[in-house]
Amino acid sequence: MKEWVYDTVYLSEKDFETGRVLYETWVPNARYAWDAGIAIGRYLAELKAGRLVGVHCPSCGRVLVPPRMFCQDCFVPIDGFVPLQDTGTVVTFSLCSVRWDMVRLEHPLIPALIAIDGASPGMGILHLLGEVDPQAVRVGMRVRAVWKPPEEREGAITDIRYFKPLE
Amino acid sequence: MSLLERIAHPDQTKAWFGEIPIQNRYTVGIAGERFFREIKDHGRFWGTRCSHCDLIYVPPRLYCERCFAHLEEWVEVPTTGRVHTFTVVPLDLDGNPLPEPRIVAFIQIDGTDGGLVHDLGEVAPEEVCIGMCVEAVFKEPAERRGSITDIRYFRPVG
Repeated sequence: MKEWVYDTVYLSEKDFETGRVLYETWVPNARYAWDAGIAIGRYLAELKAGRLVGVHCPSCGRVLVPPRMFCQDCFVPIDGFVPLQDTGTVVTFSLCSVRWDMVRLEHPLIPALIAIDGASPGMGILHLLGEVDPQAVRVGMRVRAVWKPPEEREGAITDIRYFKPLE
Repeated sequence: MSLLERIAHPDQTKAWFGEIPIQNRYTVGIAGERFFREIKDHGRFWGTRCSHCDLIYVPPRLYCERCFAHLEEWVEVPTTGRVHTFTVVPLDLDGNPLPEPRIVAFIQIDGTDGGLVHDLGEVAPEEVCIGMCVEAVFKEPAERRGSITDIRYFRPVG
């Protein structure tokens, strides 16, 4: 790099603060609206009402969750929504000691894939486990959803706080 | 619970709203540093010359875009030019009407093979024509910060 501008190929925050390098800065407007569609739209509406729903494939007979408009095995349109329980079984899990932005967590998060009761075997959703000792989590553990109170729900997967072990 | 239930009203559709926090920071680079510091400190334009291709680049480039030679010959160029092309902009970036339309032009800098995109000022939209001679109007030295906005606009000469 040219000596009269940068004596290094790296710039530090100080180089910007002290005006050592010229730059332009701006904040783009990155607001977005993602159309949830029919299947996920219904799923989110049912979450707000405190229920989990799946969809039924008329060809293979499976009950799929989260809902989708067609069965990806049979390539046929699904024929309706099916109410599910808010209980399930841990299929796999992980202990996560850092947050998404790499901040260390005092108590690990426990993301888990939970097969939902009422859906076909192996059909489940990704969520967090709570009220459980991380060392005690096992594949095959039976769990139940802990819902937010109705007035706090907004039609999001976070309307379920976490899943906790069934006594 | 059937899929034959149709959505009868847009309010029934569910959209997920969010905002991605982004901040952009664009460093002007080696040639840009020299170009914008000359504007900031002296109110002058500089370009780089490729002697092989006999081209003068404004804004300055470090490499000739035609022959890829490293350009080290810096030349001072005028702050005047001609309107190469222009457009009249009645809306802001969000699509809202502007109180006064902006006239955005590509101005070919005199004696060079380059030019700048900038606003035209002190002229009515219907008076602008291609080939019109214009000159740069700079901000007061104290207001300049080494940016293309250190030039307020270009205005007709004379």
